[in-house]
Amino acid sequence: MSVYVASILTNMALISFLALSAYLVLVVGVVSFGQQAFFGVGAYVTATVTSIYGGHAVTGVFIGMLSGAACALVLAILTVRLSGLYFAISTLCFAELCRLGLLQVRAPFDIDGRTTGPDGPEGFSNIRWIFEHNYSVQDFLVLTTVCLVALLGLLFLLERSRIMLRARLVGQDSILAQSLGLRPILYRIVFVTLSGGVAGFGGGLFALFNTYIEPNMFGVMLGVHGLAYAVIGGLGAPIGPLIGVAIDIGLLESIRAISAYRMIAFGGLVALLLILLPQGLISPRFVARMRRWRKLFHV
Amino acid sequence: MLRLSNLSKYFGGVRAVDALELNVKTGEIFGLIGPNGSGKSTTVNLVCGIFGPTSGSIELDGVDLKRQAPHQRIDAGVSRTFQNIRLFDDLTVWQNLWVAWRDAPGQEHSWFSNWFGRSLSRRHEIQKLLEFSGLGDKSNNLAGNLAFGEQRRLELARAMASKPKLILLDEPAAGMSSAEVTDLRQRILTMKEMGITVLLIEHVMELVMNVSDRIGVLNFGTLIAEGLPEEIQNNPLVQKAYFGSSENTSGGDTNAIDQ
Repeated sequence: MSVYVASILTNMALISFLALSAYLVLVVGVVSFGQQAFFGVGAYVTATVTSIYGGHAVTGVFIGMLSGAACALVLAILTVRLSGLYFAISTLCFAELCRLGLLQVRAPFDIDGRTTGPDGPEGFSNIRWIFEHNYSVQDFLVLTTVCLVALLGLLFLLERSRIMLRARLVGQDSILAQSLGLRPILYRIVFVTLSGGVAGFGGGLFALFNTYIEPNMFGVMLGVHGLAYAVIGGLGAPIGPLIGVAIDIGLLESIRAISAYRMIAFGGLVALLLILLPQGLISPRFVARMRRWRKLFHV
Repeated sequence: MLRLSNLSKYFGGVRAVDALELNVKTGEIFGLIGPNGSGKSTTVNLVCGIFGPTSGSIELDGVDLKRQAPHQRIDAGVSRTFQNIRLFDDLTVWQNLWVAWRDAPGQEHSWFSNWFGRSLSRRHEIQKLLEFSGLGDKSNNLAGNLAFGEQRRLELARAMASKPKLILLDEPAAGMSSAEVTDLRQRILTMKEMGITVLLIEHVMELVMNVSDRIGVLNFGTLIAEGLPEEIQNNPLVQKAYFGSSENTSGGDTNAIDQ
């Protein structure tokens, strides 16, 4: 497999983490424009652990994931009383605060003759863990894919549990959820925190893969894309957001002829899909039908 | 069982429920009737904790519910159905019950099984409840695809899935045919036999008069009459509230403005 194809596929897998984190928030019935913040925090923390403290990539990504989750938990607790539009705006503000905060952090280190560490708008360069350990782009693609498949497996288990069923209920009708004895706020806090963990994990891998990160990579547009993937993919199953990613990056970016017009094509596609399939490609109803057919034919 | 004392709920200047006194006894079916806008549904929402009361108290078996969150009231044994059917349309009938299911006291499953497991004994229990509701063969149907009457029965089954002591039925017969009402009446009586106390809010007199042990009549958020079904039927105050009377039609309106 050529390096070009491998890196496109890796990017797709990395962005899938962001899309899945947006999905987890949408499931509980709120919209977040701030998932890129957790992605960015995960990336910076992983970069710091591996480049400055010489930690192993696994440790780095793990701590990155925990920091993403911790940030998300803080956001979820701060916004406990907000709903709908107000929640969406506050997530956007939180993400921008994180980005602007990172722009102010200037702590370059000199390690083995190379400058690394966060350096404001100059970014965090020389995240060399995968070079130092001789991982090729193809190896990293395998690693990322394994992580993504593992995450999908966990989400699949969660999807079959009553936790997810109840979370969806909270998202659809919170009055009904309360009347059945659920605490909508609790579900929201748990799912936003989980989403932060997923985004932080993806961000950690992103930092390792890119070897250079800067705060402006984690701007609003990244979050909007993650959200758009989840929305067009649909909220029926975790595979939905991945289809969204595949459509945008896989299809539009790989077709060289239209790559210059990619944003226009993608924007148009999102608009078209929202009109034709407002519930997304893999909508809850679609999943329910599939399940029912499976049961009827005993497959 | 359920005691509402001096309970009030104001929405701005509107007194939806005004110093309501109500006492539902354990094991009885208490019918609550009243014209549109008399505060019946608000009362249900107050008991369930969807709204907080402006003043007054709500007690269930001597425990003050007023400061408890909605989910704690479900723990305490309150359950309800909705005036407009509220189901999880994209899920199957079975899943709709599974979401709300609580194991009977003393038969709880482990934490893991409670969230992930679908043990045989519980499957069996849920199937039993489905059969009680006449939905035994529909467990894999999508709730949104059921007929209207079936959706009503599913709501009723779901209200029972949390093993309540007290069920609040908010207009369960709305839009039902008379055969369906007879069927519903039988189900409500079965609930009573199972030891569940029922607070029935209803417009369909055929049902309320035949099933209730006692009836309370609400008008402008206060109880204007309470008693056996026959007493209520012959109560002039009730007749006035429902139908008005020639000399008092305008009087009723002035009353509304005064209050």
